[in-house]
Amino acid sequence: MTIAPHKPLLEDLAVGMALPTVKFGPMDRFDYIPIALILRDTNPLHLDRVYAQERGLPDTVQQGPLNQAYLYQFFTNWLHQPWDLVSTEIRFSANVFPDDHLYCGGEIEALECGEGHDLVHCRLWQKNDDDTPILVGKASGRLPKQR
Amino acid sequence: MTILTTQPQVADRKALIGKPLRTAHYHVSCEDVGDFLGVMSDPNDFVAEAQHVAPPSFAPLVAVLGLLRTFDWKTDFWFDYRDGTAMFGEQFIEYHRPLYVGEEVEISAVISDVYEKTGRQTFDVVQLAFTIKGDWDGDSIMTGKQSYILFK
Repeated sequence: MTIAPHKPLLEDLAVGMALPTVKFGPMDRFDYIPIALILRDTNPLHLDRVYAQERGLPDTVQQGPLNQAYLYQFFTNWLHQPWDLVSTEIRFSANVFPDDHLYCGGEIEALECGEGHDLVHCRLWQKNDDDTPILVGKASGRLPKQR
Repeated sequence: MTILTTQPQVADRKALIGKPLRTAHYHVSCEDVGDFLGVMSDPNDFVAEAQHVAPPSFAPLVAVLGLLRTFDWKTDFWFDYRDGTAMFGEQFIEYHRPLYVGEEVEISAVISDVYEKTGRQTFDVVQLAFTIKGDWDGDSIMTGKQSYILFK
């Protein structure tokens, strides 16, 4: 599968091209504290390993919006400007735990030629070390007419 | 005829469709964005200072925490969070302009759909349609839909 170049123009892309995969991590349990403070969510499932294990989980669960943040950063860094982001459609499939790595990737699904800018529509995914899908969905972004 | 059952009965949540939820506010503070950038280092030069553009990776946090302020699990979703299990379902967001550090956003939402699904367990999907506006210009920053899965 052909890999799409970074910060592309419409003419650099074709449907079916893969977005360059990015690996994040390992995830750090101490990152869950500032995220819990930002979200005003002190659910012990995210912070207390014993509490999580008593509920049958291997460890504390990384907050879903933090998983999303990695996928967003992956996609928006591929675009020319971060806020060239147009839309996202995300489904949560599995949990992330401390020390996991997150692999983000995608594929170009459609290309659209516009007046002031062009659009790229992609399928996106995020997986862990076991190749288990964490997030699956779609995202669209604007592409400038020239560099 | 009286039907006896040992299962707790949940009223049909379809009756919730169309219910507007309370308007909520969130201040995109320098502290929150600073804490976030401490976790998510970014090759772009985002700074946690007022009137600077916030990273788009911060947007899902604003949507999630903003929406959680628009409803009460028990009174709005008829769901007891203490002994029930709930999780995020699908999320769709359109971005209309960047989010800025220091601005206050207003989150308004309505219950747009409710449906039951059965997999290994039976659950209700409660979908919210939402708008997030900025106080600087009153314009929409994000609009979209977020669903919550409530296990029965």
